[in-house]
Amino acid sequence: MRKFIKDGKLPYIILSIMALLFALPLLWVIFASFDVNATQAFKIPTDWTIGNYINVLQDKLNQQAFGVGLLISAIEAVLVVLIAGLAAYPLSRYELRYKKMFMYTILLMTSLPITAVMVPVYKLFLSMNLYDSIFGVIIFMTASALPFAIWLMKNFMDSVPIELEEAAWVDGANVLTSIRLVIAPLMLPGVLVVMMVAFTTAWGNFLVPYILLNTVSKYPVSVKLYQFFGQNGLVVYGELAAYSVIYATPAVILYILSQKYMSQGFIMSGAAKG
Amino acid sequence: MIRESRGLGDELKKSVLLTPAVLVLILFFLIPIFLTVYYSFTNLALNGEGARNVQFIGLENYSRMMTDPNMINSIVTTLIFLVGSLIGQQILGFFIALMMKGKNSRFRSIIGPFFLAGWIMPEVVVALCSFAFFDRSGTLNAILQSINIPMVEWLYKYPLLSVIIANVWHGMAFSMINFQSALDNVPGDIEEAARVDGANYWQRLFYIIIPQIKNTIATNTMLNTLSTLGVFGLIYTMTGGGPGVATQVLPIFMYKQAFVSFQLGYGTAISMVLLVLGLIFSILYARIVED
Amino acid sequence: MFRRIMRFILVSTMILSLTACGGNSLDSSSKSESGGDVSSDKNDGSKEKSVITITYREDGQGEKAPNYTWIKNAYETWDMKDQVELDLAPISASEGDYFAKVALQLQSPKTAPDLLTEDSFQLSADVEAGYLTDISDYVKDFPDFQDGKFYEKIIDGYTIDGRVYAIPYSADTRGLWYNRELLDKAGYSYPWQPNSWNDILEALAAIKETSPDVFPIWMNAGVATGEGTTMQTYEMLLYGTGEKLQDEDGKYIIESQAILDTLNMLKTIFTEGYGPDLSLVLNGQTSNTLYSEYFTKGKTAISLDGNWAVGRFNEDGMNPWPGYEDKIGFAAMPTQKGQEPGFITMSGGWGWAIPENADNKDVAFQFMKHLMSYDLYLNGICTKGNITVRKDIAEDEKYANQPFYSKASSLLDGAYFRPKEAKYAQVSTAIQTMVESVVTGTSPEDAIATYGSDVIRMVGEENVVRK
Repeated sequence: MRKFIKDGKLPYIILSIMALLFALPLLWVIFASFDVNATQAFKIPTDWTIGNYINVLQDKLNQQAFGVGLLISAIEAVLVVLIAGLAAYPLSRYELRYKKMFMYTILLMTSLPITAVMVPVYKLFLSMNLYDSIFGVIIFMTASALPFAIWLMKNFMDSVPIELEEAAWVDGANVLTSIRLVIAPLMLPGVLVVMMVAFTTAWGNFLVPYILLNTVSKYPVSVKLYQFFGQNGLVVYGELAAYSVIYATPAVILYILSQKYMSQGFIMSGAAKG
Repeated sequence: MIRESRGLGDELKKSVLLTPAVLVLILFFLIPIFLTVYYSFTNLALNGEGARNVQFIGLENYSRMMTDPNMINSIVTTLIFLVGSLIGQQILGFFIALMMKGKNSRFRSIIGPFFLAGWIMPEVVVALCSFAFFDRSGTLNAILQSINIPMVEWLYKYPLLSVIIANVWHGMAFSMINFQSALDNVPGDIEEAARVDGANYWQRLFYIIIPQIKNTIATNTMLNTLSTLGVFGLIYTMTGGGPGVATQVLPIFMYKQAFVSFQLGYGTAISMVLLVLGLIFSILYARIVED
Repeated sequence: MFRRIMRFILVSTMILSLTACGGNSLDSSSKSESGGDVSSDKNDGSKEKSVITITYREDGQGEKAPNYTWIKNAYETWDMKDQVELDLAPISASEGDYFAKVALQLQSPKTAPDLLTEDSFQLSADVEAGYLTDISDYVKDFPDFQDGKFYEKIIDGYTIDGRVYAIPYSADTRGLWYNRELLDKAGYSYPWQPNSWNDILEALAAIKETSPDVFPIWMNAGVATGEGTTMQTYEMLLYGTGEKLQDEDGKYIIESQAILDTLNMLKTIFTEGYGPDLSLVLNGQTSNTLYSEYFTKGKTAISLDGNWAVGRFNEDGMNPWPGYEDKIGFAAMPTQKGQEPGFITMSGGWGWAIPENADNKDVAFQFMKHLMSYDLYLNGICTKGNITVRKDIAEDEKYANQPFYSKASSLLDGAYFRPKEAKYAQVSTAIQTMVESVVTGTSPEDAIATYGSDVIRMVGEENVVRK
């Protein structure tokens, strides 16, 4: 056994088996999405087709839902990075009396399950005239993503040496300029990680828009899929599967794009180091 | 050099950049939390009397909760779900990371995506994939039948196990990535010295490697705990909390009370339990991070 | 790499902000796409049209939904068409979610529709919440309603403390739909009519024996089917024991032999393998699965369901089944031991209501009146497959000649109604959980214990009783 491990053969075998096991749940969705006669049951298609994808993509309401989903997630991601980035600066660069307290509060906030506050949020939004408004959904998702984002951003910023900034100050740059020109480029991996996390969380969230929106045409793709899957009506499994694959694509693309920065980001984040 | 603080005015000036964050957080995060506390002491409902005439009812929601077998069931279910998920995510994540260490990079880049897929995908898709996997005519049963094991209605006979496995599939990669980067930072020379001293693989693992990454383990456990406590969409779309109340973790119990039975007041009281649980765990987390 | 990512982000942000500008029109234009704005002439800017918003539940049938065609036909023939624009806002959700969404909508004038379809069992709770307009004065101006053309007993269901809150449009009864051929094979010649629960169990055993590949019986049994589980399954059994949900004083019975018997009957059906596989029945699509895949294909012998099920088999229904009149039968649900009155059915229904927060109540009522006028309603109720609430329609040939209607309607006379009480809707959710627990293996005793504590929490200890 020990020799086997040392040879390094066993891990390769175990890892390959594990990887296959992890791939199993994906099989149905992939096969069904190309199957003319897809059902709930697992089977390898006898008639292959891309018609499911075409049908899903051609549907006007689906396109709209994708648009809304992208709109919500992208604006949210940008807002989160901007607001968290600004907030991280004083927390990272200045000695502030309330800093410890503030960071603790932020930390506590990261741990709150959003489901727990949905009722008051809904009541609040009704009274603020934000119910059934896409902007309302964006701003609430931004708020709920902020604590974790601020926490990450501060840790990222801590790892950017202050000396570089000092040079900029000597050249007469103000805080915003030095954030823009010195810090932002250096902590880009971190920014990308935060942006990706914010985007994918918003993209995947169906509960918040489901509760805070009312008009069907404002539903983002996540809610659409949830309804497709979890509700009455004839389920066309092939299209459901194709829809899921399409819906998952932006998250996957984003992951691949940012992969280069991911591990770097994780090391910087301090989430890994503790 | 850190710019030093000079008095209150200066401190305010320096905090200007915090304003947008603070405003957004107060409006959309802190106020809802305070409202949660407040509503949990009322009879607020989505219809019926509690919708028209909201009244302060003191600790009634809480005293009901004490004797509610559903509440006890939900707490137990939540804990089983939590422990099961943690064990699955972390042990798997750790060993996969350990095995991946130092392996052929092409091999790593080929099998890496398999492990990451469940993590990258949105929750609803994860739920759908898991649902189809455990379905009576789903992938798992198809495999079992091909080796002559009779099919099992996983989602109805072993619902909690099914959602735990789904959650492990969804969350394992996060632990794996964390452990990978921690393991990469473990200096090889100590391990090498131990090897020269005759320590076997498992001894080196338990006495050298694990102690060195114990901070990562602790942090990772906390982060996973907090995210697992909040899992809603995955279970709700897979089983709806059922069958019966078999997978009714706290967030689902809360959602059902609030939005299915329309008892918003009681729902927010359940939320408070969730919030307090989260609070306890994050204080623990903060302690560890501080050390 | 970084440049490319930044460019990607920049470009997508730009595209998105463009869409965002268009986002304002998203509101108005999209409604016409999704909801089907049926106004004929939107560009007629010369005078301001008033708009009424209508909310109803749809199953994803879109323009095939019976409600849609009914409303659309009504609008086309409406004399106020030129002054009023219709905004259709159907809610595409499971039944449980529909009620939650509606309750959320009704809270604010911004989101409340002008007209909505209301299930009779939600009415009390919504009235108590102050969500619905008292239309007692409006109906004075509705001759058909005043002249006794509607069944009084049904109107009663929408009247609280003498005030009318909705105009009923559909009623229903429940019973056993069965496949003649499969019953025949099991030794029961047409027409089959069981006289007790035991008769049913015997028939199920015989079917299982003679047709091992079919599910002998199918009934809602899950939380996902919401009120369908409570009413079509649990109450159809419970009320057959002679007991009701509440005692004579209006206290909910949370523990009794009758409840135990009911749950044991369900347990028997599902543990003996008479019922469908759990994964087929414990989800929101179970009716669709049943009628598209099983019942119409001779793979299920009996379906305990509402009278409307038959509407699916019509030419323009969801599961057309040519010649179904000669292939199926409809039996009344017997009482537990055949005790008086011999057979039972539960009855419910839906009505049109005007929210308290509606902005255009007068016009909404005018439209409601038009919807309920003879010809439109006749067509509407026939495509819906429900039982009419108007006596004159009941005698119309077009309605009366529909297969099985006279039998289903005749059951109405002895029908039981659900408690007309604000907490019933909540209690119903506890019933659904109890039923689902039992059919998935929880012991009836444990399920009753959970049910008891649920109901106590909902209605208070003083409003329950154990027997």
